[in-house]
Amino acid sequence: MNYPNELLYSKTHEWVKEEDGVVVIGISDYAQDALGDLVFINLPEVGDEVVAGEAFGDVESVKAVSDLVCPVSGTVCAINEELLDSPEMLNEEPYDAWIIKVENETDREELLSAADYEAFCAEEG
Amino acid sequence: MAWRYIELHTTDPTFNLAVEQYVFDRLPREHSYFMLWQNAPSVIIGKHQNAYAEINADYVREKHIQVVRRLSGGGAVYHDLGNLNFTFVQDGTSSRLDLSLFCDPVAKTLRELGAPAEVNGRNDITVQGMKISGNAQYVREGRVMHHGTLLFDADLEAAAQALKPTAEKLRSKGVASVRSRMTTLSRHLPQGTTLAEFKDRFLRQLFAGQPMEPYTLNQEDLDAIEAIRAERYALPQWNFGQSPPCDLVYSGRIEGCGTVELHFRIEKGRISRSELHGDFFTNQDPAPLADAFLGCAPEYSDYAGVLAAIDPEEYIRSLSKEDFLFLLKKQQIGTCKE
Repeated sequence: MNYPNELLYSKTHEWVKEEDGVVVIGISDYAQDALGDLVFINLPEVGDEVVAGEAFGDVESVKAVSDLVCPVSGTVCAINEELLDSPEMLNEEPYDAWIIKVENETDREELLSAADYEAFCAEEG
Repeated sequence: MAWRYIELHTTDPTFNLAVEQYVFDRLPREHSYFMLWQNAPSVIIGKHQNAYAEINADYVREKHIQVVRRLSGGGAVYHDLGNLNFTFVQDGTSSRLDLSLFCDPVAKTLRELGAPAEVNGRNDITVQGMKISGNAQYVREGRVMHHGTLLFDADLEAAAQALKPTAEKLRSKGVASVRSRMTTLSRHLPQGTTLAEFKDRFLRQLFAGQPMEPYTLNQEDLDAIEAIRAERYALPQWNFGQSPPCDLVYSGRIEGCGTVELHFRIEKGRISRSELHGDFFTNQDPAPLADAFLGCAPEYSDYAGVLAAIDPEEYIRSLSKEDFLFLLKKQQIGTCKE
């Protein structure tokens, strides 16, 4: 399992990266592995307000539908439309396959460092 | 952790699915919950399916079969009173998703009751290689809802009719159903077992040796459930309007006219784009004829309404109203342009 050091992680298994004041969000390697092969993703639209701790979309795998929980509050400024046709990119390259970008961040969930997140995942089993 | 058993007495799928969501969202997380319930004839589609890609809309309308979208993923299933549904809601399971956590005890219980059931690789429980139970999960923040069907003696013919999409091949960006050979439990249980007897035995056997207490939904629960039902499961916007976009093509050869193809794009359950193609001769630009279908639902009854108000022959030479309707009813083949 891969936990890149430069990212921050939520306890609901999303990763967060900041790029020029914009927050980039995806799901972790642990998350994609736990979900199994992804077959569908539901994304918000550009301009939508997202709220820290609330669902901003969901994914369906061969096993289940699971909500995507937003680690920050703000406004969606980009969505990764490639995922709509190829959700399997989330399985193949979870850290390249960003899901949404959020600007005007007003709030965020408690986020973990890579080391703390790895320990958290180890506990979950 | 003690199980609480909730028995549902209504057969309205919009209500029953609202109960599931209510139990998942609102009932105390220190308990686990189990429910057994039945639906009147209905098609329950997966969260990310295109309703029109899964159902035979005209059959479903004619037979008053309700179409309801559920929270979990997977394919479309037909429910009627020969089908028994079960739901587990449990907290604190590992975030590693595992359908066998719930499928295994269900299959074991069925074996103990006399049906040689096995969990198969996909999300199914089978008897002699044929499906008797389809299973799906919805998860959020460490809480899982696992539900499944138990086909007792459902009307397999009606199921086949209702789930036959109007277009033979219709591609959607949504999740497609996988068709399986099905059998019914009643054929594999002691002869003469009724569904009510099976339900009692199944419940007792499944929880044999585990603490379980009944939970009766109180008025406050019921009011909240009704609100969820009214705001989601009773709404066409949820059941049909959430459908991912898809394309639908009707095409056929009409004597004396030529090949006529009508291409529709379906978005949120309505026709959002419509084009006519073919080798026919026109009397004038046929775009207004194609545009007349915009905004209507992709169902024959809606097409008939459209053609009551516009004469196709004004646009396409030798295309009578009857021929055009015939094409929209019988000659449909579906394909998709990406």
